[in-house]
Formats: sequence, structure tokens, C-alpha cells
Amino acid sequence: MVKGELEFFEMIQMQLPGLEGDFTGLINIVFLVFIIMMSLYGARIQMWQWLKQIEAGLVELERMKKESTQKAIDTFKKFGRPEDEVVKELARWLDYFTIMPVDLDPAGILKRLDHLLDERRDRFQEFVSELAPEGILSEHQSLENTLEVTQVLDLVYRVVRHFYLIGKKTGSQIMIMQIHMQMPDIMRLAKAYFDALDAFAEGKPIGDGIGPLVVTRFAREYGGTPDSYVHEISREVGYYPIEVEGRIVYALRATGPGGTVGKPGFAVKKLVDDNKGKIARIITVDAALKLEGEDMGRVSEGTGAAIGDPGPEKHAMEQTATENDIGIEAIVIKEDEAAAVGVLDKRILDSVPEVIERIKTSILKRTKPGDKIILAGIGNTIGIGL
Amino acid sequence: MGLISKLLGIIFAASGIAILFFGSSDPVWSIAYYILGLILMSVGLTLVTSRGESKERKPPPPTVTEIRCDNPECTFKEIRDFQKADYILKPMEAQCPKCQSSMTIHGIYVVREEESE
Ligand SMILES: [Zn+2]
Repeated sequence: MVKGELEFFEMIQMQLPGLEGDFTGLINIVFLVFIIMMSLYGARIQMWQWLKQIEAGLVELERMKKESTQKAIDTFKKFGRPEDEVVKELARWLDYFTIMPVDLDPAGILKRLDHLLDERRDRFQEFVSELAPEGILSEHQSLENTLEVTQVLDLVYRVVRHFYLIGKKTGSQIMIMQIHMQMPDIMRLAKAYFDALDAFAEGKPIGDGIGPLVVTRFAREYGGTPDSYVHEISREVGYYPIEVEGRIVYALRATGPGGTVGKPGFAVKKLVDDNKGKIARIITVDAALKLEGEDMGRVSEGTGAAIGDPGPEKHAMEQTATENDIGIEAIVIKEDEAAAVGVLDKRILDSVPEVIERIKTSILKRTKPGDKIILAGIGNTIGIGL
Repeated sequence: MGLISKLLGIIFAASGIAILFFGSSDPVWSIAYYILGLILMSVGLTLVTSRGESKERKPPPPTVTEIRCDNPECTFKEIRDFQKADYILKPMEAQCPKCQSSMTIHGIYVVREEESE
């Protein structure tokens, strides 16, 4: 043993009489102190550890936010405005918000919500066409989507940062705890959107577009062509009038290949109103979130309107189906969040023939020749041509 | 990477256990060995059970474009990398090398690996 160490031990022995040569007492004291510290400050240490973990996630979120903003800038500046202007305008636009209508007086809330969503879409289109003056319509639509993804990542980052800073400032356990518990889910969502950015920026089809794709394939099989497509029966939505086994089918979808979901709910309503009493059935096709463990691209069917809008569209569909006593059914393709906003997965694409088979079965079984049927493909049409 | 850290972990844990068992008979040193053994063991076990979070991000799988001949009797199919302005159901300018019919983009997709966990 080195001389210094010896002196140290001797010193301790002198300080603590009764422990001569026996360190068990000292160890006991150390353990006691440790246990007291842990019971007094254990929670604080745990909070500190959680804060560190949130911080790690926050750093990752910030990276995604920065990279996505940069990607948006790179994409926008190809369309005619100088980079510094794009940077400035984007920064101004990133925290654009929409105030949900008041629900204390629920009468007409869907109308008001629809109005706000319309206004929001107008503002987006105005912004994009100002910032990308040289783009064509379908490019503008894809740019709108790019912008929205960037906004989502920015929002997620700002919200997590808010809770992190509040938790740090106040030391409030509940603040830290709730954000820490949600962190894995938040990160998964952020990553899904981050990966999706590439699809939107380049105009690749995404998993959510399977509905319009199925409808178009179905229409093509029965003679529908881009020329027979009837444009704009509601905002950015049109249909192929086709004949299937003696029935007339209106195969409805948003107009691609730009990225838009249009307003299919109101389109259905308009078609029903235009063909008063003649529509026998409404079939909706859409992507649906799969449960963990379910197969990607699994096809499943049920009753109701398969459409994931904030409310007005779905309401319009259900309302018109109820008023006119029309059967409404849904065929969905299961996928996870990452696949829904990311580039179309092969397994989802491979489900198309089965969905078409199910549509045929439904038409043959539940309608008779001479009936009119609405087949609505719901989803984002980015990268999916007419 | 993962394998090496696991192996290292096992070595650490094993040496920790060995030190714990065959510590010194000297009372002062036995305490030091005891603590050293515990630390080694915990470090080793952490290494073994940690799920290599620092693994590098894999680049996303490439997006491919699948082009098919419009002639139903022809089976020609071409798969190439995605190019800008491709979209599903886009009619191609090139003709089918087999039968000279028109061709259409049949699909644009990625092949993701099945997540195995
Ligand atoms: Zn051919």
C-alpha cells in the first residue's frame, strides 16, 4: 500500500474510535447514508434522469425539425424565389394555426369548422403560389404537403420543448412524467413524418393514397380513362362514370397526381343530390391504421363511412346516406402511421387486386342491375395519376 | 458492434463475479474487491442487456418504379429507380421492346424489410 493511502486509513481510524482495524462499522455508516440519501432524493434523481432522456429526444426532434425545414427551403427555392426570401417567409409561416370553432353552441359547428378548413386551405394555396410562382398546380399541391409536414415537426418540437423547460423550471414531477411517458410515441410519430418528407418533396405516392389508387384501377378495368373523368364536382374531386354488370358506378376520387385529399364527402353528397333516389349504395375505400401485430396491407371491411377528416366530410356522407336510406359500407387497407405517410409500401400495393375483388362482390351481391352506386376512394392522391 | 459489446459485457460480469467470490482475505482489501466486483458486474450486465440504441440510422430503402406493357397478352415488366415526375398510371413515351405496345407506370413503391422484434 502506498504511503499516502496508509495515512488516510489511519486518519479515519483516529476520527472514528472503536473501529480500529475493523471497517464493517464504516461500511455500515456508508450504506446508511446511501439509503437515507436515496429515500430523500431518489425522486429527484429519477426526475433528473427523465429530464436527461427527454433532452436526448428533444435533440433528435430538433435535428428532424432543422433538416425538414432545410428540405422545404431547398424544395421551394427551385420555383423561382431567392433563398433568403424563402427562408424568411417559411419562418413566418411555420406556426400558422387554426382555431377550432366553439363547441358550447354545437348547432352548426360542422358548417363553421368546414368554413374554417376551407379558409385555411385557401391561405395555404395562396402562400404556396406566392412562394413558388413558377410551379404548376400539381407541384403546388405537393409543396403544400411538404409545408404541412414541416409544420407538424416544428409543432412537435415546440410542444416537447415547452414541457421540458417548464418541467426543468418548476421541477414539477407531473409535467416531466407525462412528457417522459409519451416520448416513445411522440418520437415514432415524428420519425414517420420526417421519413415522409422525402415522398412529399418529390411527389412519390404514399400509403394513404391506396384508396384513390384502388378506385382508379377499378375504373380502368371497366373502361374509365383520364378523358372520361369528370372534374371538380366538389373541391379537387371528380369521378369516372363507368358501367359494371349493368349498374352505373360513379368512381370518385380526388384529382391527382398532385397531393390533395379534396372534399370527397361533399362530392358524395352532391352526387346523391344530383341522382335523387337512384343511388343504391355507397362504398368507401380508405387506408386505416393497423394494430401492432396485424399484417401490413390486410384488407378488411365493415359498415360506415371510411374517411378520416376532422368531421364535416364524414358528417356530410353519413347525413346524406341516412336521409336517402342508402347502404354505406367501408373497405379498408391496414397500414401503420409510418407507411400511411411514407412512400407506398409494396405490401400495400399488392392488396389492390383483393380490394377490387371485394368491391365487385359487394356490387354483385348487394345491388341489382340498373342501380347507381358511388365508389369513393379516400386519401391523398400525391403521385397517383388519373 | 452489438456482438462485441455483448461479449465484453459477459467478460465484465464474469470477472466481477470471480472477484466477488475470490476476494482478498485482508479485511481492507476485501471491501475494495467487493465494491470493484459489484461495479464490474453491473457494468457488464448493463452492456449485455442494453439494446444497442446507438446503431446507425439505416438509409431508407430505394423507391422503385414498375413499368408494365399495356398489352394484356404481353408480360413485359421493367423495374427501375424512381425518377422525378414519375407517377402511378403515367403513360410512358417509350414503347414495349417486346411487342411495341404502349407502356404505363404500374406502381411506385418501396420494399421495406419486415420488422423483426
Ligand atoms: Zn409488350
